[in-house]
Amino acid sequence: MTITRQLIAGASAAAIFVAPLSPAMAGGEINILTWEGYADPSVIGPFEEATGCKVSATYVGSNDDFAPKLAAGGGVFDLVSPSIDTTAPLIQAGFIDPVDPSRLTAWNDLYEKFRSSPGIRANGKVYGVPFAWGAISFMYRPDKFATPPTSIAALWYPALKGKVSLWDDKSAIFVAARLNGDNDIYHLTDDQIAAAQKKLIEQRPLIRKYWSTAGELVDLFKSDEVWISNTWAGYQSSLLAAEGIEVVEFIPEENAEGWMDSFMIVKGTPNEECVYEFLNMAISTLGQCGVANVNGYSTANPVAARECMTPEQFDILHQGDPDYLDSLLLWENLEDRLSTYTNAWNAVKAQ
Amino acid sequence: MSAFLSLRLKRAAVLSPPLLWTILFMFVPYTILFVYSFWLKKYPTFEPAFQFGNYLEIASDPQYFRVLLRTIKIALLVSLGSFFLAYPYAYFLAFKVKRPGVRIALYMAIVAPLWVSYLLRAYMWKTILGTIGVLNSFLMSVGILTEPSSIFLYNQTAMVVTLTYIFIPFMVMPIYAVLEKIPHNLIEVSSDLGVGRVCTFLKVTLPLSIPGIVAGFPMTFCLSFGDFITSFLVGGPDGLMIANVIATQFGASLNWPLGSALALIMLVIVLSIVTASDRFERFSEGKFA
Repeated sequence: MTITRQLIAGASAAAIFVAPLSPAMAGGEINILTWEGYADPSVIGPFEEATGCKVSATYVGSNDDFAPKLAAGGGVFDLVSPSIDTTAPLIQAGFIDPVDPSRLTAWNDLYEKFRSSPGIRANGKVYGVPFAWGAISFMYRPDKFATPPTSIAALWYPALKGKVSLWDDKSAIFVAARLNGDNDIYHLTDDQIAAAQKKLIEQRPLIRKYWSTAGELVDLFKSDEVWISNTWAGYQSSLLAAEGIEVVEFIPEENAEGWMDSFMIVKGTPNEECVYEFLNMAISTLGQCGVANVNGYSTANPVAARECMTPEQFDILHQGDPDYLDSLLLWENLEDRLSTYTNAWNAVKAQ
Repeated sequence: MSAFLSLRLKRAAVLSPPLLWTILFMFVPYTILFVYSFWLKKYPTFEPAFQFGNYLEIASDPQYFRVLLRTIKIALLVSLGSFFLAYPYAYFLAFKVKRPGVRIALYMAIVAPLWVSYLLRAYMWKTILGTIGVLNSFLMSVGILTEPSSIFLYNQTAMVVTLTYIFIPFMVMPIYAVLEKIPHNLIEVSSDLGVGRVCTFLKVTLPLSIPGIVAGFPMTFCLSFGDFITSFLVGGPDGLMIANVIATQFGASLNWPLGSALALIMLVIVLSIVTASDRFERFSEGKFA
């Protein structure tokens, strides 16, 4: 897969980027609760050197880890980076401080769609700094398919018994609902959820394993256990390409979910100076091309992306293609329906 | 009077650290869990309340009962598997191995894996049972299989095998400790009186080793009952255990009250098993002593 090869090549070029950081040394230390790759040494090294702010990162395995860690209190973390479906409950639970966009140099360069997203706004204030985005696409082994799959229905082919995987997440409900033709996946009725649940129970005999972590899916493909699954577009496929395993990503006819991660300031952080230094860096060329090269994700700042990416990478990551972004079903907060979705998914696994 | 007082002080000094430990790390957390279990889930988090909704939900939604039953089944299979492997091994160690050096070496062979990370031991089974794993390669090289089979990994059997491997030391140790203390002359007397080997085993050795079995059984059962890593590593789509459901309630669903109620039900089950085995031990002591 050429995308991933280029990304790997790009990753080695990452070290060359020199970011326009503010020369004033802020000093201090910040703790970030974030995704793997979002605090990569190739980015954090130059940042620490330029600002004097030391960065310690703790990694989460899923969006579900943010709220429990913040609910436990303790004032450990200064910044978190949840996806757009998880931001609202954090804001409403009072875990997050508002951001002052006037202190962010590149704020106006970010995609308008993200800046105005209701997920990061409340009471007329901004609560998040959009950072990276992508699709929950699907991925398969081309050597195992005579005709390339184009539909979610491929994950229900009886011939693929024991070779199918699916993300162990409420996202499974979204997938099955779309296969049922219920496209308003974030506002499903109880009946629609029940129908999706039924579809997933039907699929279960075909499932080899539900995957929970990025590395686990890579392992499943690598050890020939699984031939098709949904995936975090760009990330696992590039890890597999690095292992010499060819996989192809595709957006199915039934469309794909989209996600967007924002950095948010944890309420009452004592390290405001360094926090803003970090936020500015994150949406600068250093941070944006950092995440594009390390994780293979698209970035929230197309202006920075244009500056630091090759034209090919810019195209592959759909940075200049607002239609692609609009076609994705961007994750939404499920509010009080969240437990209904997660319980429906648990019930599938309890069968 | 003063002597009495200083004795009391001394007693308090000896008792207070464990007492403090128990209060701080057992009593307080369980009380918090108990209180949480009556709280109410309310978006975005949950709020204090006193209601039985969480328990009602667990009783009315069949998924919890189903997972609980599955977890009990797996834990029971692990305990039985461990017992049938551990007892002959411990017996062999206690009665058949004559040289102390060999005995220690064989005993350590069972205990030593406990020093290796639990996660690593569970993970190892993945590389053994996988489609391109050690077992498949072996079966193919000796010609039993022509192509790799996927039946070994990602199912409940894989979970039982992995858990049995991990927790078997907890069965071997207490059984061996008891068997080792059985005076050999009791067995000699039995055979002098013309009782056969099998009968001697059933009437003398086995009854005397019951305390060891009764110690090992609940230990392996409770440890497997609360496990959630094995489901994650080698379990298949039907591998969800009750501890995984609790983890989801504290994480994905952000429903700590429901998670607490589930955790308490689990605690009650574990405590009843421990109590039952304790009763059984006393009963059998009364019968055989």
